[in-house]
Amino acid sequence: MNDAQTLAVEVVGVEQVTPLIKHFKLAPVGGGSLPVFSGGSHIIVVMRAADRVHKNPYSLLGSPSQLETYEIGVRRMEESRGGSHYMHDRVVVGSRLEIAHPVNLFGLDKIARKHVLIAGGIGITPFLAQLEDLHGGAVPYELHYSVRSAEHAAFLERLRRREGERLHMYHDSEGQMIPFETLLAAQPLGTHVYVCGPAGMINHVINTARSCGWPDSHIHWEQFSAPPVGDVFEVFLARSKISVHVPHDQSLLESIEAAGVEVPYLCRGGVCGFCHTRVLELDGELVHNDHFLSDADKAKGSSIMPCVSRARCKRLVLDL
Amino acid sequence: MLVTGIKSKPVYAPLQADTRGRYHLMLGMGVGAAPLLRVIAEMRSAAVQSLKNTRVLFVPDPGNATAAAGRHGSAPEIEHFINAAVGNVQSFPGTAALLEEFRSTLGQSLMGTRLYVAGPESFIGLVMKIALEFNLNKDEIRAEECGTLARRVYCIHCRATTENVRTNIVRCVACDRWLLVRDHYSRRLAAYMGVMVDAEAPGELPPLKEVFL
Repeated sequence: MNDAQTLAVEVVGVEQVTPLIKHFKLAPVGGGSLPVFSGGSHIIVVMRAADRVHKNPYSLLGSPSQLETYEIGVRRMEESRGGSHYMHDRVVVGSRLEIAHPVNLFGLDKIARKHVLIAGGIGITPFLAQLEDLHGGAVPYELHYSVRSAEHAAFLERLRRREGERLHMYHDSEGQMIPFETLLAAQPLGTHVYVCGPAGMINHVINTARSCGWPDSHIHWEQFSAPPVGDVFEVFLARSKISVHVPHDQSLLESIEAAGVEVPYLCRGGVCGFCHTRVLELDGELVHNDHFLSDADKAKGSSIMPCVSRARCKRLVLDL
Repeated sequence: MLVTGIKSKPVYAPLQADTRGRYHLMLGMGVGAAPLLRVIAEMRSAAVQSLKNTRVLFVPDPGNATAAAGRHGSAPEIEHFINAAVGNVQSFPGTAALLEEFRSTLGQSLMGTRLYVAGPESFIGLVMKIALEFNLNKDEIRAEECGTLARRVYCIHCRATTENVRTNIVRCVACDRWLLVRDHYSRRLAAYMGVMVDAEAPGELPPLKEVFL
């Protein structure tokens, strides 16, 4: 994906659904239908702020069979680098945005015998679209949705109405916890578990499932890391023959793009591996923040995911 | 026509205990007892709790089942399993009875189950076919091939399956066509594809050779 392939959309609906989450509806400029997608897909929203361009991934939460509009949910992040604040503070009905085509890195297993969906907070969004596919089907499923408190439970009415007793709610404020161990220890063979939420929850689900003997092929998770801030450094792009300055609050990918060099990307959240770039020279250390490279590859230091990872060095040379 | 060097031909590896599993289900036929006993010994030396969660379903080699019946009225291998103090050992008179029990066991099994299969390829294939229906993936199944290489051959013309094929060409049990046995394998059918060998020149057959012994 690069910027030449974006679609122009207009915001046709904005609703504050919880104190922290806004629900946006996007329609194609000029009418018509949006590209087909499957449950679990995300889009990249390109926001052209005055001083910089933000490109954030958001899961599509509407029905895959309804393509007049795309729906996304945006949580206002406390430590935002600007993207979520831009969406919350500047985007209103009538605003124009660009989006990249949907990509699915969190699809349902097509031959699973049962699905267990686990959501924490804003992590409910990819499941809303997946539930559209699951609802009315023959494969059993259950949704476990954990939120801070009742007022933070986004899209709850919609879920209650349709899912009935397949929905299990947990409120942190009342000390309710998803019983991960009992839940995962008692699933029939052929079950798949999916988790989306805070990093701590995802790690806990992965570790608990493994300790219950689950093989990795049945454990699915998605977390888009926002690019962490870090030290300022310089990068030299060997093929473009230019030097790029990476400020502390801008990602390596964003800095390279701002310098006019295009890097292929899909998720911008350290998940998909599409922006995988070779490191040619380095006089310090890489700060890997992605979920794609194996620990061994990270230690080797011969490649980097510029969407979320950085470097602590004087000089970094990339094969770009 | 490509006969060998086809990617779909399954590849097997020596069985190893997967101690990350919580429950262990072992299926063996004939000489397949040896690899299973090796895995059980491995589990014991790793001192895992899983031996009591281990279950063995076994069918003696159909060739010498009655001759080798032992003290428990079943194959002598069964006594080895009982002596190895595995939680639950069951012997079956034939593959069909074993597979029926296997299917109903999978229906009641939980996530965390690992499958170990040891025996001739045709036996492994039939087990895998059922495991696939229960959405077991590669990281939940281990299989070691031992015993006869005789194949199940699926006639791509009349869709009948000919069992125990040891030769490079074989007459289909149902339609009588001479079939060339290829390495093209179907996991869904648990059989190798057999293709009419003299379709273009009726009666012209390659020499019959025993190749799957």
